[in-house]
Formats: sequence, structure tokens, C-alpha cells
Amino acid sequence: MARMKFLCDADRCIDCNACATACKNENEVPWGINRRRVVTINDGRPGERSVSMACMHCTDAPCASVCPVECIYPTEDGIVLHSKDVCIGCGYCFYACPFGAPQYPKVGNFGSRGKMDKCTYCAGGGGTEVSGSAEEYEKYGSNRFGEGKLPLCAEMCSTKSLLAGDGDIIAQIYKERVLKRGYGSGAWGWMTAYHEGIEV
Amino acid sequence: MLIRTSDRHRARRAFSPEPAAPAAGGTDRRTFLKRSGLAAGGLAVLGGLPLGAVRKADAGVPPPAGATLTTRKNICTHCSVGCSVIAEVANDVWIGQEPDYDSPINRGSHCCKGAAVRDDVLSQRRLRYPVKLVDGKWVQLTWEQAVNEIGDKLLEIREKSGPDSVYWLGSAKFTNEAAYLNRKLAALWGTNNSDHQARICHSTTVTGVANTWGYGAMTNSYNDIRNAKTILVMGGNPAEAHPVSLQHILEGKELNRANMIVVDPRMTRTAAHATEYVRVRPGTHIATIYSILWHIFQNGWEDKEFLSQRVYGLEEIRAQVAKWHPAECERVTGLPEAQVRHIAEVFSKEKPATLIWAMGQTQFTTGTANVRASCILLLATGNMGYAGAGANIFRGHTNVQGATDLGLDVTTLPLYYGLSEEAWRHWGRVWEIDYDWLRSRFADKTLMEGPGIPSTRWFDATLLPKEQVSQPDTLQAMFVMGHGVNTITRLPEAVRGIEKLEMLVVCDPYPTAWSVLSERKNGTYLLPACTSFEMDGSRTASNRSIQWGEQIVSPVFQSKNDYDTMYLFAKKFGFADKMFKNIKVENGAVLAEDILREINRGGWSTGYCGQSPERLKAHMKNQHKFDLVTMMAPKDDPDVGGEYYGLPWPCWGTPEFKHPGTPILYNTNLSVKEGGGTFRARFGVERVVKRKVMENGQEVEKEQHDNLLAEGSYSVGSEIKDGYPEFTLGVLKKLGWDKDLTPAELAVIQGINIRNPDLVSWAIDLSGGIQRVAIEHGCSPYGNGKARMIAWNLPDPVPVHREPIYTPRPDLVADYPTLPDARQFRVPNIGFTVQKTAIDNGIAKQFPLILSSGRLVEYEGGGEETRSNKWLAELKQEMFVEINPSDAAARGVVDGGWVWVTGAESQSKTRMKAIVTERVGKGVAWMPYHFAGWYEGADLRDRYPKGADPFVLGESVNTLTTYGFDPATGMQEPKATLCQIRSA
Amino acid sequence: MMHSGRFSMTRVANSLAVSLRGALFILAVMLVTMSGFAFAQKLNPDGSPNPDASHVSEQQLLKLLPRAEGRIDIPDTKAAVLIQPMGRTWDYFHEVLLHWGAAIVIVGTLALLALAYLVMGRLRIEGGRSGLKIVRFKAIERFSHWLTAVSFVVLGLTGLNITFGKLLLLPMIGPQAFSDLSQIAKYIHNFVSFAFVVGLVLIAVIFIKDNFPAKVDIEWVKKGGGFIKSKHAPAGRFNLGEKAVFWLSLGLGVAVSASGYLLLFPFSVTDIFGMQIAQVVHAVAAVLFVALIMAHIYIGTLGMEGAFEAMGSGEVDVNWAKEHHDQWLAQKLANEPHPIRGAATPAE
Repeated sequence: MARMKFLCDADRCIDCNACATACKNENEVPWGINRRRVVTINDGRPGERSVSMACMHCTDAPCASVCPVECIYPTEDGIVLHSKDVCIGCGYCFYACPFGAPQYPKVGNFGSRGKMDKCTYCAGGGGTEVSGSAEEYEKYGSNRFGEGKLPLCAEMCSTKSLLAGDGDIIAQIYKERVLKRGYGSGAWGWMTAYHEGIEV
Repeated sequence: MLIRTSDRHRARRAFSPEPAAPAAGGTDRRTFLKRSGLAAGGLAVLGGLPLGAVRKADAGVPPPAGATLTTRKNICTHCSVGCSVIAEVANDVWIGQEPDYDSPINRGSHCCKGAAVRDDVLSQRRLRYPVKLVDGKWVQLTWEQAVNEIGDKLLEIREKSGPDSVYWLGSAKFTNEAAYLNRKLAALWGTNNSDHQARICHSTTVTGVANTWGYGAMTNSYNDIRNAKTILVMGGNPAEAHPVSLQHILEGKELNRANMIVVDPRMTRTAAHATEYVRVRPGTHIATIYSILWHIFQNGWEDKEFLSQRVYGLEEIRAQVAKWHPAECERVTGLPEAQVRHIAEVFSKEKPATLIWAMGQTQFTTGTANVRASCILLLATGNMGYAGAGANIFRGHTNVQGATDLGLDVTTLPLYYGLSEEAWRHWGRVWEIDYDWLRSRFADKTLMEGPGIPSTRWFDATLLPKEQVSQPDTLQAMFVMGHGVNTITRLPEAVRGIEKLEMLVVCDPYPTAWSVLSERKNGTYLLPACTSFEMDGSRTASNRSIQWGEQIVSPVFQSKNDYDTMYLFAKKFGFADKMFKNIKVENGAVLAEDILREINRGGWSTGYCGQSPERLKAHMKNQHKFDLVTMMAPKDDPDVGGEYYGLPWPCWGTPEFKHPGTPILYNTNLSVKEGGGTFRARFGVERVVKRKVMENGQEVEKEQHDNLLAEGSYSVGSEIKDGYPEFTLGVLKKLGWDKDLTPAELAVIQGINIRNPDLVSWAIDLSGGIQRVAIEHGCSPYGNGKARMIAWNLPDPVPVHREPIYTPRPDLVADYPTLPDARQFRVPNIGFTVQKTAIDNGIAKQFPLILSSGRLVEYEGGGEETRSNKWLAELKQEMFVEINPSDAAARGVVDGGWVWVTGAESQSKTRMKAIVTERVGKGVAWMPYHFAGWYEGADLRDRYPKGADPFVLGESVNTLTTYGFDPATGMQEPKATLCQIRSA
Repeated sequence: MMHSGRFSMTRVANSLAVSLRGALFILAVMLVTMSGFAFAQKLNPDGSPNPDASHVSEQQLLKLLPRAEGRIDIPDTKAAVLIQPMGRTWDYFHEVLLHWGAAIVIVGTLALLALAYLVMGRLRIEGGRSGLKIVRFKAIERFSHWLTAVSFVVLGLTGLNITFGKLLLLPMIGPQAFSDLSQIAKYIHNFVSFAFVVGLVLIAVIFIKDNFPAKVDIEWVKKGGGFIKSKHAPAGRFNLGEKAVFWLSLGLGVAVSASGYLLLFPFSVTDIFGMQIAQVVHAVAAVLFVALIMAHIYIGTLGMEGAFEAMGSGEVDVNWAKEHHDQWLAQKLANEPHPIRGAATPAE
């Protein structure tokens, strides 16, 4: 069984934000919701590195664990999906998420932030809607995965920095890159997300 | 398994891609997997998945029931890399974008702009219908009313002030066909006041580079950088300006373990990935290059064989370089000797080495000289004319290369024919328009053959007294198609210019800053243009590859494509029948293919003759066949075998001649027929110079005849094993090759110059016969000359370091002043006076920070389109200035705080946020140039037509930029001026 | 269907690794205020900076700071935090420590109270009811109490639902019904919090003057706080036990409210680390508060005869007052003209 993962090769990422707009475009994500984003470490200084980040679809996903209504769950492919019908917008998943992935549309007053929204790995939603239906699209966005395609953010990455696909294979690609070029700043977030790094 | 879980099995959408276009979606994921080759650096892959079991369908918005989903391919409109865009369309609505893994240029990749282009078409902020300003209010009108009112007024101005009082400002976002049509429109109107963004972009590159070796374009390609062992980026930030090019640069760098050296005032996103970063002071390019050359010559690292065979003028350069010993280098540039020596050694020894540049070299008063210095470095080290080397000049807009080629320029007709009578006669023959009629359209023959006013000076030509503008009257009307006003320096004066104009017409998908900057109350018309996604047409990427884009959806709202708009005006002006004589127009819809065919019929000089619409479309359909590195399709392929992707110009001869295009210019390792070439013999066969020589113990002045043709160097398969001049019928005759011409070809040639057909050259032979015969004998039609390091027709024949007009180092101006005042391009250039006055007034003390400007990845150009794109606008919501922590601390400026930035001219001031960062060095401030809609602290949002205001507005950097023009091209100087910053 | 129970062995087995993260959590507290680490940049042989060689790695960053943070241009500043492994620590707190801790504290309190009841039974009014009533709590005082009390119970139940609902309620009523219920519970929790705070403020203002420690409190403790039947424990309006409840309630109330409002307006004041701490404070304080109030309820109802009516009708039997708040009664009798109401005929 393939285990889907994301890997951002920070030595390739140039903070072009293609992943961010590809995500918006593919899933019609509204203004203010940022399922994917690029953060630059050491901005403007030697050693500067940018990393594209979204839901990493963690192993033992902490968001799923803390969710008081258990609306978040991993699929057989390791993709962490959630049901917006069940979500109550409590915000706990954001506190638990090591990657700042959950987003809330902030409707209404006080703590009513609306249903949580996050990267679905372009695999539709975790609700009861029919896969690929307009209802599913409306609520969660695209279901590329069901069509045999990968998340558009990775597919459109300008420098092939952001890799998506089976964890073993993208880890292999990354390893070979590091061996070829002789350096690598590591698979960002892997230790936290998957309890494993990539040894080169 | 690809479905989520067995109990969550869902019916997949039963969607069959349109049968007519299988290649677009198709089975190529397998190819993609293969090509992504783990070994080759890798891509995102659906690894290990049983792909065969997956049924293809299309992601994105599910289309409405019953609608057919079609897939169309066009080219991203945002930079010159030329990324293919795959659009999914249902019911004439663009519902999704897919990666195009087949394109050898982008392999599915995009930057944020390319990944968001769908909203360029969907944007609710587009201008929806024609409007005009009536007493300060926008009033809707029909296209017919608009064309009539505008046309009448323009004809009135033509009558009153002459044709030169109307300025035709075109666009680098035009398709090739629209650019060509725009130039033709200006020609038939009777003026050379026809320009576009290349003026402020790479006009200096075109002039400087063409004056060195023949053509003013990128010599190699983005893909070819994969072959480089040393990548030197001087004056460019491709990570933000050309993000997808970084795919080639970084993969090449990784696979070759190449040196990647970035020389820039800012520690850019590109520099973050370099092996070495060198911080320089803006405006010291020539000094830096000469300092590098000093070490090269000192150590004998130059490529002596290359220099002796293919380069002219080395001695003058040696003399100039000798002045740039390490101490002088350090005094002017601040660079330490060891660092400069290191760059020199790497660049000359670890070959192939390529030099990449963009606006960091061009946008200076010394722009032309800057790029020539770069060429000199490449020539001296022999890094020219083969894979992995070359001048990789990154153009800016999607089709700035094509629009430049097609003559949206004040100095030339399409394809660099110039403005001479011969050029006019050539295009007259192509257009089948009588020369005398063309001549009658102009005020006089001098103006017909003299350069027009550059776009950087339009407001000077509007505001200056009549007698200072060398044409019958000052500018009265601007007809702007797709050009922001805020990308041109000295905005406060542009504002006054806008106010003085009798008429302003802006034909653009967006209202642009033209519509809001001034207090103008009447006489402004906005016409909604569609984007290139809503029309057919070709575009030329920076690497000279031409790609055909097909219309994705019909123009939205009431917008029109540029062809149809220009047709309407040509009709109004009464010359539509002449202008569209050989171009099919059906119900007011112009056929783009016919325009390209006309370009093919006249584009011999630059090899735009072989790229017929049919061939270009075949390339788009067969994208997957082209190699990633060489860009060549396998020779045995029946459709595009042996051809280079996009038939990069020059693609010689007629389309039937099947020239494969030229992926690398001046590459003698290939035969001309297969895309090779020599340096162009553009500057004559010999140069007569008077030199002092010792003769019989006496110094005498003697005339010497320097050979300008190559010596002992020639391209593979050349029957002439030495240099040779450009081909004419006369030359063919001398060689006895004229017998190879067909009778039909000969007849055409004789028709071109009845009195003396021997003078008919390869460039004006409409039959293509001369090119064909020369190439069949292995020769370049344009000859085999030397590249020249000394360009005797330019203001600085040998590049000389000159301080910017507003320099932070007044102490250096005595040694390195700017050129004296002069008249250029119909207006005065008083740079010398301005520089002197600034020093006399101690401007550098009042404005102690260098102000430079550049590009952000999210936005493009003046930014109106991208700031109206909801997915892009969200990413950068505020204009800002970057300031070094020490400068910020001294001024009490905090990160994220508001500041006032004041400029050295017009008492200019701007209000924006500060970003305190070490990205810029001490004493340097930097701003992006994509913002507009605020002016001197005031928000102008209310002035936009309702609903057409961009999401994000901000101050324009050009409110602060100052005087300074390159004498050879009229290029502005926004990369180095002075400013002061205080906390607001 | 989705996740097995929170108390599974695997999670417990992971606790060693998690406690390492716990240590990081503490380290985080120490380091979070520090910032601006400059990495020693590596140089080329000639002294120029080499961006390749001086790049940073995640592990390097996380060694120095509990989270990796950088610059981002979108206005959502919390998005600038790239990786915060402490999310997993917080998960561990929430799903393991809190579940076990809360269960032990709450069930333990219940058990203790049951034990107390079994051992001591209901504390009777020794002298029997006199039939004479004296006003112990005025209407506004009772209103304040009940406002706070009712909102507390509502908040407690809706709050406990967030932590325990998925274990107790969800299996019974199914996901959609549980979600709807929890959604409503969340809104109720958010809005009722204002009532609770109003009540808390009123109580604090009204009762604070009677809750300052006094000499008699020492005596009260010496006499066994009224739990030893043979000894009379003297007290003012409130005995030390009640004072303790007051101060503990006030303290916990402030902690719960303050942390609650941080949670109600997420990220408006603090960052992700602050939010996690706020949630931890909220949860821990709430659980302790619940335990405290359970004891309070016990003593006010089941545990002691005559206590409830003080907050019920507002009047207590004079004998009850004599036994539990003799000094207060004396003061009342001395200061007010007709404090006692009730029986037409005297008891004798």
C-alpha cells in the first residue's frame, strides 16, 4: 500500500509560491484561507532557505487525535481527510498541528470560526459526498487523486522542489539528489510528521 | 489502490477527454514518469502506484452536466520563459488548469503567476466595456461610439499637428501578430513613435549585443544552462523574475556541481541558492567586469585562439582594462581583490561558463555599455557559441522578445530592418503597398527615416516647448495598448504629461494607473482588451523559440482582441484595405495565422521566415518529442524530426525549406542547416583605422585595413573555410553558386532590384533563394564575421565606467562623469547637467541612500493585471521598501512600520511599509516596481472605474526615480538613484 | 471506526518518546523569549559567503528553538511558524495526560465524597431546628451565586463534552448527532461564559469583605472545622472552609476565564505557544474547579443539613447559624433591630 507524503526540498525551493496559487486555483480556495504557504527561514541572510508547507498528512496525525468530534481520519493511502459536516470549528487541530495546516474561514463572532479547511492532498473530502461530485468540490475542492493525479501544488512546482507521491519513492528521489549534488538541508518536517528522517 | 478505502469507494467521474486532443491529457503520465527519471533529478511522482488501473479523468471544477470538456494549450502571459498552460474548458468557461509535462521548457511547472493565470481571465476586476471620462466621471459607451470619437479626434490631431503628435505605445504582452500589426498601424499612420516595454527592459541589451556579434538576443536557452559548469548571474534575480528557469539552473548546477555566482546589490532569492554571493554597489557593472578582466589578462587566462579567430578590437579593451587594477576596483566597487580574482579564475577556467543578466545591467544610463562589457567578458574567455556557454539574457514579459523582433521600437521596422528607404521599400513589397503612398503618410522623409521618441520620454515630448521637440509639434495624444505608466521613471512628470495631453486612449484588460494618476477630467478613453489567452497567436520566448497559443475562451465581457481592435481603427482611418490586404478578416475577426504568414514572407533578416503557423502548431502538438537539454526532436520523427522546439530564430528560408531553427547562436560546431552559425558579418568586411606605427625608426601615421571577417573559423560543413561577407546575388555569382537558384527564385530577386539585382541580399530576397543556396553550401546567409569588442558607432565605442546620474559617490564623478548633454531621439538629454547640478547641490548628502528597484515573483510589470488576480494579490498586499537594519536603526524605522520615502527630484514623496532586512546592504534601499494606485501618500482607489480597481494598490517606486537616459537607446535609470527614508 | 481509544497501549508505549518532547516543552518555555539566532555562516576559501554551505537545516533550527519560524508575506502572521513539534506534545497532554488526569481527579473526588458520606453521613443540626429563621443571603447575593452556579454547571458539562464526549457520548449517539450536539454545546459554552464571568465578578465584589482571613479561622481549624461532633468550631459569616472555596473559586475562575477568552479570540493576543499554554491552563483549572465545586455542592446539599436553604430561600435556621457561624449570628443580632423572623411563639 502506497503511503502518500509531501517532501519539500528546501535547497530547490525559491519561494515562488506556485504551490500556493496552484492550490487556490485547483480548489477555488477563498481569500484568507491558505492551505499551502511558503515560509522563508533566515530571510535575506546567508543560509536563507524557503520551505513550502501544508498539511503533511502525518503518521498518527495529532489533529485527528485531538479532534473532539473525531472528524479527521487517515485514509488507506495515509492521506488525512476530514468531514466538514462533523467539524465544529473548535480550533484544537490547529494547536496540535505541527505545521499550521488547519485554516478557518472565521464566520460569525467569538470562537465560531466555521468549519476547518485544510489541504486534502487534492483527494476530495472526508465527508459523505460522492467522489468527484460538484458537492464535494464545493466543500473540499478537487479530487485529483481519485483520477490518478497528484496534488497540483507539487505537479506545478517551479523547480520540482515540492515532491508528492509515495513516501518511499520521493524519499529515494531526494536521497539521489543529495548524493548527486553533495548537500541537503534535510526533509523538512519529516521527523515530526512521519517519525522518520531521510538518511543519506 | 487509488481510491481511499474500500468502504468509501466512490464512483469516479465518467468523463472522456475530447477525442480530438488526446495529447494534452493523454497517456503521458507514463512518459512523464519515464522522463522525470529518478536519475535525472526527479520530479513529483505517483511512485509505485498501479497507474494502468487508473482511469483518466479531469480534476478541477466538475463541469456542468452535459457540457463537453475540452483541453486547450496556450502560453503563460507573464514572463519570457514561455511556460505552456493547459486549460480545461467547458461551455466556453475556463474551469481548470493542468500541468503540461510535455513542454520541454516548463515540464508542467509554473510560478505563482503561471499557476494563477486562470484568474487573469476570470477576474471580476477586468474592465468590462468601453468608458470615457466626462467631467471626472466614467461614462459607458459602445465600441462603435468609442472608435468613432477616438478616431475623429486622432484624425483631427493628425491634421493639426501632424502624424508624429500621436504616440502608439504597444506592448510586450502582445502576441507576435499583434505586435507586428501595431507597428504596421503606426507605419501606415505615418510615424515612428511606436514603442513598447523593451525600451525600459532590454533595449540596451538589444543594441549592445547586436552591436557586438550581430543579433540582440539570448544566445543560448534556459534549457542549455543545464550544460554550464559556471553560471554567473550579474544583474538578475531569476528566482523571482523567471522562476521556472531556476528549474534548469538548479538542476544543471546540481548535476554538474557547477559554480553559481550571483553578483547583486541584494542577497536575492537567487543568491540564496548560489555557491557564492558577491554584493556590489548598483551602477558599477563595467568597473566590476573590467576588474575581472584585469585578472584574466594579467594571468593569461583569456581564450587566445578564440580571440584571434573570431574577435575584433581586443587591444583597445586591454588598454582600458589595464586601468582597473585591484586598487581602483576596490575604490570604485568596494570589491576585495581575492574575490574578484576568484570569479575571474572560475569564469575563465571552469568552462563552459555562461553569463546571465536581466535589468540589473540594462536599466542604467550606461546600459548599452554595461551589456557590451558583459559580451566582452564572454568573448575574452571564449565562452560564446557553444552549449553551456553564452549570454543568457533573460527577457522580461511573455513576448518582449517577439515584440522587439517585430519592430515595436522607435528605431526600426519589423525584424531589425531599420528605417532606411531600403527598409521601407522592403516592407512595402511585403505589404504590397506602394512606397510613395507610405512616404506620403509621413510629415517628411527625415522623420520617416529617423528614430521616434522613446517611451521613456513621451512626457518630455508632451511638456517641452515645441521648438525643443524635433518634429512638427509636441505629443498631443497617447494611444496605449497594454503598457503601464508606472513602470516608467519620473512619475510626477508623467502625471503632468497626462494632464497636458489632448487625448489619452488606454486599450488594456485593466484600467491601469494611466486612468487614475492625474486630475484629468475629460478626454480619456478606456477600451477593454482581452488577454492573449482569449485569442490565437504566437509568442517568442527569451530563447527565441516561438510557441503558438490557441484561444482558450472567447474574450470576456465586451473585451476585444488586439487584432480586431486595430482593424476597427484602421477602418476608421481609411487604410484597412491596405493594412489587411493579405490578411483574412471575416465579420471583423482577423485571422492570426495570416498575420504570421505575412511576417514569414518579410522576416528574412532575423530568420522569422520559416516558422509557419502550421509548423508551430505541429510543435505544440508534439511537445513531448523534444529533448529537455538540446530541445531537439529525434531525427527520425515524421512530424518534427531534427527540429528544435519552437523553431528558435533564425529559422532560415521558407517553411518548406524545413530549417530546424537555431537553438544556440553563432555555434560553429553545427552546420548552418542543422542550426549552427557564425558571428554575423554585420559591420563590414574591413575597418580602416589610422594608427601610429614605427617605420624606419620614425613614428608615422598609417592607414591600416583591419579584417572584420572571421579568420580560420567557420561552421561545420562550410564550403568556405574562412570568413566571408553577407550573401547577395552578386556574392553568389562570384562563387558560381547562383546557378543553384531556381528560375522562380531568380525572377523574384530580379524583381526586387530591376536595375541592379546583384545588390539584392539574403535579407530582402523575398524568394528565400539566396538563403537556401548559401545554407546548402554550409554558409550563414549573413556572412562569417568577427564579433567586435569595440563598437565604433556607439557613444562609448569601448565601454567606460560612468557613475549614475544620482550617485552616492560624488567624489568619483570627476573621474567617471556621465556623457555630455546631447540631443537624442528628437529630445534633449541633459544628463550631464543634471549630474553636475546634483553634485553642486549636495544631493547625495540630503538623500544618502541608494534607491534600487526590481521585481517580485507575485507580480509583473506595472502590476495592474497581477494585482487584480485574487490568488496573487493575496500573497503581497502592501507596497514596501527594504532597508538595512543599521540604516533603519539610525532612522528609528521598525520592521513593518510606515515610512515616508522621499526622492531627489520633483520633491517626490511616497508612503509605504518598511521591511528591515539584511537582504540589502548598508546604504541601499530597494523597492518593487509593480505597485500603483497610491500617489504621494494618497489612495486613488475612488478614481478607478467602478469595480475595476485592483485588489492591491500601493505607491509606485517611479514616483521617486529620477532623470537619466542611455544615450544609445533612451533607456531610463531606475536601478540607481538616491532617496531618504524617515519613519511616518 | 477511525481511531481506536485514546488509552491504547501503543500510546502509552510511546510515552517515553513523548516525555522527551515534554522536556522540550519545558525547554521551550525557557527559550521562547529568546530570538534572533545568527547562524555561523560558512565562507568560501576567499572569505566570501557561500550560501550553499551555510544553509540551515530543520534539525539545526529545532535544536536552538522549539519551533522553526521565518518570514511570510500574507497577513496571517501565525503562518510564519513553519514547524512546531510541540503540537505533538500538546496532543499528548490533551489526549493522554488530560484524559487520565481529569478522570482521576473527577472520579477520585466523587469517590472521596462518597466515602465521606459513608463515614460521616449527613451533618445534622445538633440542636435540632429552632423554627426561627435569619436571613443569611440577600436576593442579590443569591442571584450572583446561582448565576455563577448555573453557568458553571453548563460550562462544565459542555466543556467536559469536548474532552470526554467522544469517548462517552459519541459511541452512544453516533457521529452526526454528536457533532450537532457538540456544535450547540460549543456555542453555549462560548456565550454562557459571559454569564459566568458576570457572576464571578459579582461574587467577588459582594463577598470579598467577609472572606479575608480572621483569627477565628485558627480556632475553627483547631476545633476540627465542625466535623468533630464533640467540638464546636467558631466562625464568622464564612468559616475557613468556605473562605477556601471562595478564594480557590476566584483563583480558578480567573484562570479559567482568562485562558478561556484567549481561546475565544484565538491568536488575537498570543501565538501558537501561548494558545497551547492557554488551553492547558484552561483544561487543568477547569478540572480542578469541577472537583472543588463538586465538594462545594456536596457540603451545600447532601453533606449538611440546613446548608442548602441559605442559598435556597436565603434564610437559615438560627440553630444552624449558632452551630456553624456563631460569631456572624452574634454580630447580626447585635447590629440589626429585628434579624430574626419566624415562629410566632418562642421555642421554649
